[in-house]
Amino acid sequence: MGKFTPRQIALYVVVLVALIAFPLVVKGTFPTHVMIMFFMFAMMGVAWNLLGGYAAMFSFGQAAFFGIGAYTSTILLMNYHVNPWIGLVVGGILAALTGAAIGIPCSNLRGHYFAIASIAFAEIVRICFNNWKFVGAAEGLSLPLLPESLGNFMFHSTKVPYYYIMLAFLVLSIFICWYITVNRGGFYLRAIKESHELAKGMGISFVRYRLYAIMVSAFLTAMAGTFYAQYILYLDPESVLILPISVQVVLVAMLGGAGTIMGPVIGAVILIPLSEYTRVWLGTKGTGVDMMLYGVLIMLISAYQPKGVWGLLTAIGKRAK
Amino acid sequence: MRGERGRGLLFVLTVLLSLSMASAGVAADKVIKIGAVYPLTGNIASTGLDCRRGVELAVDIINGKYPDLNLPLAKDAGLPNLGGAKIEIVFADTKGEPRNGQAEAERLVTQEKVVAMIGAYQSSVTKTASQATERLKIPYVCSDSSSPALTERDLKYFFRVSPHDAIFVRDQFNFLRDLEKARNVKFHTIAALYENTEFGSNVGKQILKVAPEYGYRVVADISYAANATDVTSEVGRLIKASPDVLMHASYITDAILFTKTFKEMGFNPQGITTFAGYIEPGYLPAVKGDGNYFVIRSTFALDLAKRKPLVAKVNELFKKKYGIDMSENAARSFTAPFVLADAMNRAKTTEAEAVVKALLATDIPGDQVLYPWIGIKFDPQSHQNIYAQGTLVQIQDQNYVTVWPFDSAAAPVIWPFPPWKSRK
Amino acid sequence: MSEQLIQQLVNGLLIGFLYSLIAIGLTMIWGVMNIINFAHGDFLMLSMFISFWLYTLYGLDPIFSIPICTGLLFLLGLLIYKYLVSKVMTGPALAQLVVTFGVSIFIANAAVLLWTPDFKMIEKPLLTGTWSFGTIQLSIPKAVASAGSVLVSLALFLFLRKSKTGKAILATEMNRNSALLMGVNTDRVNALSFAIGSALVGIAGAFLSMYYYIYPGVGGTFGLISFCIVALGGFGSIEGAFIAGILIGIVQTLGGYFFDPAYKYAIVFALYLVTVWIRPQGLLGW
Repeated sequence: MGKFTPRQIALYVVVLVALIAFPLVVKGTFPTHVMIMFFMFAMMGVAWNLLGGYAAMFSFGQAAFFGIGAYTSTILLMNYHVNPWIGLVVGGILAALTGAAIGIPCSNLRGHYFAIASIAFAEIVRICFNNWKFVGAAEGLSLPLLPESLGNFMFHSTKVPYYYIMLAFLVLSIFICWYITVNRGGFYLRAIKESHELAKGMGISFVRYRLYAIMVSAFLTAMAGTFYAQYILYLDPESVLILPISVQVVLVAMLGGAGTIMGPVIGAVILIPLSEYTRVWLGTKGTGVDMMLYGVLIMLISAYQPKGVWGLLTAIGKRAK
Repeated sequence: MRGERGRGLLFVLTVLLSLSMASAGVAADKVIKIGAVYPLTGNIASTGLDCRRGVELAVDIINGKYPDLNLPLAKDAGLPNLGGAKIEIVFADTKGEPRNGQAEAERLVTQEKVVAMIGAYQSSVTKTASQATERLKIPYVCSDSSSPALTERDLKYFFRVSPHDAIFVRDQFNFLRDLEKARNVKFHTIAALYENTEFGSNVGKQILKVAPEYGYRVVADISYAANATDVTSEVGRLIKASPDVLMHASYITDAILFTKTFKEMGFNPQGITTFAGYIEPGYLPAVKGDGNYFVIRSTFALDLAKRKPLVAKVNELFKKKYGIDMSENAARSFTAPFVLADAMNRAKTTEAEAVVKALLATDIPGDQVLYPWIGIKFDPQSHQNIYAQGTLVQIQDQNYVTVWPFDSAAAPVIWPFPPWKSRK
Repeated sequence: MSEQLIQQLVNGLLIGFLYSLIAIGLTMIWGVMNIINFAHGDFLMLSMFISFWLYTLYGLDPIFSIPICTGLLFLLGLLIYKYLVSKVMTGPALAQLVVTFGVSIFIANAAVLLWTPDFKMIEKPLLTGTWSFGTIQLSIPKAVASAGSVLVSLALFLFLRKSKTGKAILATEMNRNSALLMGVNTDRVNALSFAIGSALVGIAGAFLSMYYYIYPGVGGTFGLISFCIVALGGFGSIEGAFIAGILIGIVQTLGGYFFDPAYKYAIVFALYLVTVWIRPQGLLGW
C-alpha cells in the first residue's frame, strides 16, 4: 500500500497539475463551484474513510463535526473577532474533543449499533443548535463581510482562491490518511476491523486507536465545515447539520471504494458533479428524476460492485497487466 | 490516430463556437433574461412549483397584449421603451438548500447572463442567493420570502415587494384590537405556538415582543419541530395554559397534524390566528371541514375580486392556463416580474445601476396590484415596500374569505371559534 | 393537572403502540439478516399510498385495505430481497448498510413523480372521532391501531415460537451457521423474514392512513425513530422493540409536555444513547 510505482507517481502528479491548472483554463463560476464542492465532499469522504473504511465504524453523523467546525469559527469571528484560520483550528479541536466524548461511551458499539448511535448523536446536535439562541438558533448566522484576502479567509470577486484552498485541504487530508494507514496505526485499525478478538489478542488497545481515528476524522471534517462557512458566508442548522450531509459523505466513500486512499476522491468526482449538473438539467422540471437515478446508482454499485468504482478500476488495471 | 483526435477537437470547437454565436443571436432579438430560483424538487417542491406558476403567468401578461388588464405593461407586447423586448425567465432548482441558492444565482448570472433575479421562497435561500447577486451587482426583487432580516441588511441591489413577518404579526394584533372594539369583547391572554425553523421562530420572537405593547399576557410560548410525528404533548400544554387566543406559525404538515389534534383533544380557545401552513394549497383538501374558522394571515384571497375586478381577471387567466385557482403563493410570486419589468421599462435599459435607480423610483398605484395595498414604493434605505401589508382571511365553509381589514372584508369574521363538539 | 397527565400518558401509549408496530418489522429484518432497512420509512409511505388509492379509486375503507397492503408489501419485500439484498449478503458490511439507502432515495422520489409532492388524506374513514371518558379523550382510530399493534405483535411472537418456519427463523437469528448445519435453508429464511418485515410495516401504514396525512416524505421521522427503537430494544428482539416503542412514545409525549416540545426528539435520541452506553446490546438483546 505504501509503495508507489513510478507510473503511479507520474499519474498522481499529472492529475494534480491538471487540477492546479483547471481554473486557469475553465473560467466559469459554476464549474469552479462544482469543483469546490467535489473537493469538499472528497475531503469529508477521506476523513470518513478513517472511521468507516479502515476501522469499520460506520458513522452516519459526520454532519455534527462539519457543523461544529462551521459554527465554531463563525461564532469566534462574529463575537470575538478571531481570525477564521485560528477559528478553523479551534473548531477542529472542539470537533475532535466532541468526537472523543462520544467515542468513549460508544467504543463498545459495533456495526449497525454504531451507525444508529452516530445518527442519534448528530440529530441531538442539530436539535440543540436549532434552539440555541447564542448560535443564532434556526435563523442561522450571516458572516460579517471582511475585506478579501487570504488572511481573512474571504474572497468576494472570485472563487479561484477558495478553489486552491480547498484543493490544498484535500491534498493535506489525503496525505494524513495515507500517513496513518501506511504506519502502525493503520495496521492496527485494519486489525480491529478484521476482528476485535484478534486485535485484542495482539495487545492492540482497541479503544485507544478507535478514539484516535474518530478524533482525526472529526478534525478534518470540521476543517471542511469552517471552509463551508467562509465560502457560503451564511449557515443555519438546516444547511450544515442535517442527516443528508452525513449520508452524502458515506455514499461518496462507499461508491468510490471504502478502505482505499483514493476511493472517496473517485466517489466524489462522480457523485458531486452528477448531482450538481442533474439539478441544473433536470431540476427545473420539478420531478426528482435526478434523485431517482442517484438511488439506482447506489443500489447497483452496492449490490454488484460493492468494492466501489476504485475496486473496479484496480481490477481492470490488473487485468490490463 | 492523432489526426482523428485533432479533427475531434476541431469539431468540438466548431460546435462551441456555433453555440456561442447562437446565444448571441438570441440576445440581439431583444430578450431580457431574468433568473428565478425556487425549490422545484425536494421536500417543499409543491410550494416551489406553485410559485413558478405565478411567475410564468406574469411573464405571459407582460409579453403579450392584454388591453383589459390594469397591470403594468399588460397593454403592450413586451417592454415598449426597450423596443418591445420580451421577458424570459430562466428557472433554477435550489432543492431548498442555501448553498444551491448561491450556486444557482451565480450560475444564472455568469452563464445564463440573466440581468435580474427573483424568487427563492425560503428566506434562508433568498439570503444566500441575494448575497451572490449583490456581489455580482445584479438587481434582485423578491416577492415571496417573509423573514424581516432580509431587508435589514442594507443591500444595494435587493428589494422586497411583499410584507414580512413583523408586519404580519402586527396585523394580527391590530385585528384583535379592532375585534375588541367592534364586538365589545376583551382578550387577556395569548399563546404563541411556532415551528422551530427560521420562519416559525422569527414569528414567535415577534409575537413575544409585540404582545405586551397591546396589553396581552403570553401564557404559553411553545416551539416545536415541524417534522413531529405526534403533537399531543404540545396541545396538552396549550389546554393547560388555556389562552384566550392562540397564534400559530406553521408549515403545512404540522398545520394538518395540529388541526387534527386540536379536534381530537378538544382545544377550544376563543380564536386561533395562524401563519402560512393553513393557507398552503394542500391544507384544505387534506383536512376539509376541520379547517373551518381558522384565521390566517394572507396577502391575497380570491374573494378580493368583489372589490378588485383585476383579481377575477387574473384568476381566470390562471385557471385557463393551469386548471386550478390561483393560490396565495402563486399570487405573491406573481408580482416580482412586473416590478422588475416596470423598472427596466422606465430605465430604458437593463443595466444594473440604472435599474436600481428606477426601482428606487418605483411608484405603482394600488389599482395595478393584485392585493389590497396602496401600491408599491420602496423604502430608500431598507428597500422594503412601504405599502406592503397583510390581510387576514378566515376559512368559512371551506373557502378562504377575507375578514380583515374590516373595511375590505368580504364577510364578517366568525368569532369565537365554535367548539369542536358542536361541529359536524 | 392530573387529568392532563393521564391524558398525556394515554397519548404517549397510543403513539408508542404505533411505533412498536412500525419497529417490529424492522427488528425482524435486522435480527435475521443483520441488515438495517433504511427504506423502512418509505415502505410505510408506500403502504399509506396504497391504502389511499384503494379508498379513492374503489371506495375501500383503510380497515379493509389492511390485507391488501400487507400482501403487496410482502411481495415488495420479496422482490427487493431477491434482486438487491441477497446480492449484498455476502458482500462488505458497508454495502449491506448502503444498499437500502439507494432503495429509500429511489422510492421517495418515484412517489413524487407518480403522485406529486402534495398532501393527501383519507376523507371519511369508517373509524373516526373520539371516545370521551370524563375529560380524557381517546381517539378511536388510534385506539384501534394500538389494539392492532398488540394483536400483530402477539401473532408474530406465536408464529416465531410455535410454527416450524418461525422456529427456523429464530434459529437463523440466533446462529446462522448452526441453523445452516441443521438443514435450515437460510436463503429462504432471509427472503421470508425480509418479506414479513415489510408486510408488518404494511399493516402499520394501513392503520396510520386512517388518521394521518399522506405524502412522499411522511416516512422520514417515523423511520428515524424506529431505528432508535429497534436498537434500544435490542438486536432483533420482537419483545424488545415492542417495549422500546411504547417507552419512546411515552418519553416523547411526557418530555414534550413537561420539558420543551422543541427538544422532545433530542430526549428520545439521548435516551437511546444513554441506554446503549450502559447496555450496548440494547434492553432485551443478547
